[in-house]
Amino acid sequence: MRILIADDELMSRRLLEKTMQRAGYDVTAIANGQLAAAELCKPEGPRLALLDWIMPELDGPGVCREVRKRKGQSYVYMILLTSKERKEDVVAGLESGADDHLTKPFDPEELKARLRTGKRILDLEDRLIEAREEMRFQATHDALTSLWNRGVIMDLLGRELTRARRENKCTAILLGDLDHFKNINNTFGHLAGDEVLRETARRLVSSVRSYDFVGRFGGEEFLVYAEQIAIQHSVWHEPRRFVKPSPRAQWKLRQVPYQFP
Amino acid sequence: MAKNFIDLEELLKRTENDRELMRDLLTIFQEEFRQRHQALREAVESQNATQVVVEAHALKGMLSNLAAVEAATAIAELERLGRNNETSRFLESFSHFGAIAKELSRQVEAFMAEVSG
Repeated sequence: MRILIADDELMSRRLLEKTMQRAGYDVTAIANGQLAAAELCKPEGPRLALLDWIMPELDGPGVCREVRKRKGQSYVYMILLTSKERKEDVVAGLESGADDHLTKPFDPEELKARLRTGKRILDLEDRLIEAREEMRFQATHDALTSLWNRGVIMDLLGRELTRARRENKCTAILLGDLDHFKNINNTFGHLAGDEVLRETARRLVSSVRSYDFVGRFGGEEFLVYAEQIAIQHSVWHEPRRFVKPSPRAQWKLRQVPYQFP
Repeated sequence: MAKNFIDLEELLKRTENDRELMRDLLTIFQEEFRQRHQALREAVESQNATQVVVEAHALKGMLSNLAAVEAATAIAELERLGRNNETSRFLESFSHFGAIAKELSRQVEAFMAEVSG
């Protein structure tokens, strides 16, 4: 894991750098508060930081304040290192946005233990973001086909049509269903029917451009929205090509050959 | 037997018994200490309290890292005097620190030879 060390005092910096390297961290060592803040504010910057309190240009609490101003980026866990032991200094350090405070000279084992605490918090944040993204996907996508669900596609459709009207652009909306789908379910069972829906979704997605969108309208109905499509485009004349890349396409459903209607 | 101004046990603990790191720290100390000490002397002589605080604070950090507790305590007192603008006591405090620093420098040199050898 990457860690940033900011300390203007060379001995401290060297000691911290070596201690952290030995503990398996990928270290970026900096002697100036302003540069430290710039590094930590980068989108892919280190997410762990050890900051000396007194530094040129910008002190440790100043770095914390700069980092906490950022919005929408990963959390950075910051520990202030200082010889200041007064309670009001500790409070001021934490109030500036630091997560922890360690008095210099530090004990290597204590420092590593505190960084492990920081890493646990960052891991927790990662898991929360992952869970949020998963929930967001579930709320906006169809569980079977992973296409946009009906609610999202209707919302997108409304917005895109307004935009197309405003910009006076030609767009295509295809609403189609699978003929005789009931027969598939009745003949091969519902699992096979699900596989047909998934395959149809795959074919639709691979047929359109990356900025068009495809959604499951309901049951065996799908909706495709293709923006800025020329009036001469084949989609107007041969819409089935969107679903069937090759005529009379065929694939195997659980070892049973199935022919697309 | 001369008093030991570096707590070797503590220094070994801090460097996790890394002789190369210890050598690095001693080298940095030797290179920077003389310069800082001279800057502090000038600040004390000119009764510049702000500069005394800056130099004393930097030296305190170096000495603490070296586990030179007595020297760090002496310089912390000078830093405190600077913060309180007690300029009349600068010379006395600096002189006390100077005596410790002289012996400390000798010990650092000896220790450096030991670590390098």
